[in-house]
Amino acid sequence: MVESDRVMLNTLSGALKTSKDFELLSTYRDFKSALGQSSIYNPNLFLVDIDDAEAFKTLPGFVEVFPNAVILGTLSEWNADFAYKAQKCGITGCIIKPFTPQDIVETINLYNKRGKSEPSRIITFFSPKGRAGRTTLAALLALDLAKKSNESVALIDADLQFGDLPIFFDLEPKHTVIDAAHDIKLLTPSAFAPYFHEVTKNLYLLSSPDRPEYAELVEAQQLVDVVRMAGHIFRYLLIDLPSGFNPISLAVSDFANINFTVAMINTGLEVAHMKRTLDLFKARRGHMHIDYPIFTRVNPCTEEQKQKLENQIAHHITEIFPNEYNLVSIANSGRILYGLPQDTLMMKTISKLADEIIAGKL
Amino acid sequence: MAVEYSNVKQGLSVAGGHSGIIISIFSTSSGNGKTITAINLAAFLAKEGYEVCLMDLDLQFGDVCDYLKLTPKYTLAEAQKDFESDPEEFNAKNYLTQYTHEDLSFSVMAPPKSIDDAYRIDVSAVEKIIEQLAGFDFIILDLQAVFSSLNLAMLDISAIINYVGIIDFLPSVKNFKVGYDTLIRFEYESNKIRLIENRSNSQKLIRGEDVERLIGERFSHKLPNDFQSVNKSVNAGVPLMFAAPNSPLTKSFEELADSYLQPQENSSTHIEAAEEQPNRSILSKFMGMLGW
Ligand SMILES: Nc1ncnc2c1ncn2[C@@H]1O[C@H](COP(=O)(O)OP(=O)(O)OP(=O)(O)O)[C@@H](O)[C@H]1O
Ligand SMILES: [Mg+2]
Repeated sequence: MVESDRVMLNTLSGALKTSKDFELLSTYRDFKSALGQSSIYNPNLFLVDIDDAEAFKTLPGFVEVFPNAVILGTLSEWNADFAYKAQKCGITGCIIKPFTPQDIVETINLYNKRGKSEPSRIITFFSPKGRAGRTTLAALLALDLAKKSNESVALIDADLQFGDLPIFFDLEPKHTVIDAAHDIKLLTPSAFAPYFHEVTKNLYLLSSPDRPEYAELVEAQQLVDVVRMAGHIFRYLLIDLPSGFNPISLAVSDFANINFTVAMINTGLEVAHMKRTLDLFKARRGHMHIDYPIFTRVNPCTEEQKQKLENQIAHHITEIFPNEYNLVSIANSGRILYGLPQDTLMMKTISKLADEIIAGKL
Repeated sequence: MAVEYSNVKQGLSVAGGHSGIIISIFSTSSGNGKTITAINLAAFLAKEGYEVCLMDLDLQFGDVCDYLKLTPKYTLAEAQKDFESDPEEFNAKNYLTQYTHEDLSFSVMAPPKSIDDAYRIDVSAVEKIIEQLAGFDFIILDLQAVFSSLNLAMLDISAIINYVGIIDFLPSVKNFKVGYDTLIRFEYESNKIRLIENRSNSQKLIRGEDVERLIGERFSHKLPNDFQSVNKSVNAGVPLMFAAPNSPLTKSFEELADSYLQPQENSSTHIEAAEEQPNRSILSKFMGMLGW
């Protein structure tokens, strides 16, 4: 254990010494001596103080010397920037001080489920207008990512007024994104994790509320805080945004690694909406390349058609999806978990997209 | 049309005159036919000889001008700017775009051209602008599918709220029900809200009657499905009365427009709502209420 504050060091180590589950090998006041001397013990768990930004210089060294150890950064209070930096350095995660041995066990379990010790991939689903196939895509992709990556995947329904994800998964969850937004200032990762409902292996859902007026109660910044802490807990975070440009869709998509912009081909005018959307995002994001256009219900769903659309919007198109009425009606009616016709162009395209995300190609 | 235009107009003026009647078209899911409805209502009311102004208040991605192939010079954005800089001199009519086809004509207030401008539209300015348009017989408001402060203000000033739904998939039914319950919770009189089922005769797994039971209210109007005619109308940039004069959908819009020209009945369309069953999953709850 590394802890610069002597009083805190005493508190934490005192609790650990009385625990049957842990054997405290040694404690240090600073990083340098810890890194130099720990190798004589071969520890499998580090609890290292990351309240001081200096820590991030030494953390990669720990990860390199002890690749198989669990390394938890200890924080006096939740700090999304520090937590992100810590995972960027390759350490397992964070724990908030003071903590009990039981807290450590819970936290380690959380990260065991999470998967690789890397920052999360945050994927948002934006659409200029509704009825674009946005939610269907988010749900199908989340399922496939959970299945293939064997890491934890969370879906957040940020379409606060008319979120449809609870219907897709046939759930009436106890906690909603509104509760999360309210409580977020008081939460820690391990206290926040239970707000998510386990839908199926590796897939967790934070639902929208059932009354549209509750959306009023949430500030965009609160939702950003929710997303940042959730990103710490889950390896993949998929967020269904409300349609159009509003404080929430803008603020949350700013934090994405991938922002899928989804429009459904209907009268053909949607292509113009897509172009306006991409232009606006381009102006907003500067050099950040995170916006990936997707068209749904493209008929015929061919490479030529894709190129035609690309010419119209003067932008590369990430994927086009066909009209798959049967599949969509299954997905839309709460039967998504009980098997979908896999042998369809729609599912194959989803599968390809999931592979590319896992491989880090997007 | 059963009644001659002049008779209707006369009949109405006797009934107290039609001026500044605000009719809004609202839904809680996108793509439910609000814009199609708004345009065709405006067209049929204009055909009856009324002065009609159609306002596209789907500010970011409004479709009215696209569906009518209009290229407006001024929009709500300029109207608001000028109103704010000189309210005394401001005349809302100067910012309208006239839609004319053959001998049909009505006015359109176009939505801002840029999304940035759309973001800046202010509710109280819109209210003031609409006040100035009260000289029109009818003001039709095409809204966005969301509960926003703008939409609530518009629903407040509307004489009639057409609440449109396509009830093909479960999420749409859920949003239709949740949206209706919210309107009632917000204390809009159920008399003012007209439930309109769009694409009522399309192939779907959910029956209109079941949705009526779920909501506890009957549809006051049903619009049939006619994808081809709608597409023809949008592609040609003309209302359905020109693109598909004989389509049942066109007739249905005509009837809907006519219904505003009759003194509005107060007969209740209320029916016994399906009982809510707590502590069950959303799906089984809805399915149960839908009689599945
Ligand atoms: N009665 C109908 N029959 C067939 N197709 C219809 C009908 N009504 C609407 N549609 C189809 O639905 C599409 C969406 O209609 P419209 O643009 O009027 O919906 P909206 O509610 O205004 O959508 P948004 O909320 O996105 O503005 C139309 O382009 C048309 O293809
Ligand atoms: Mg519309």
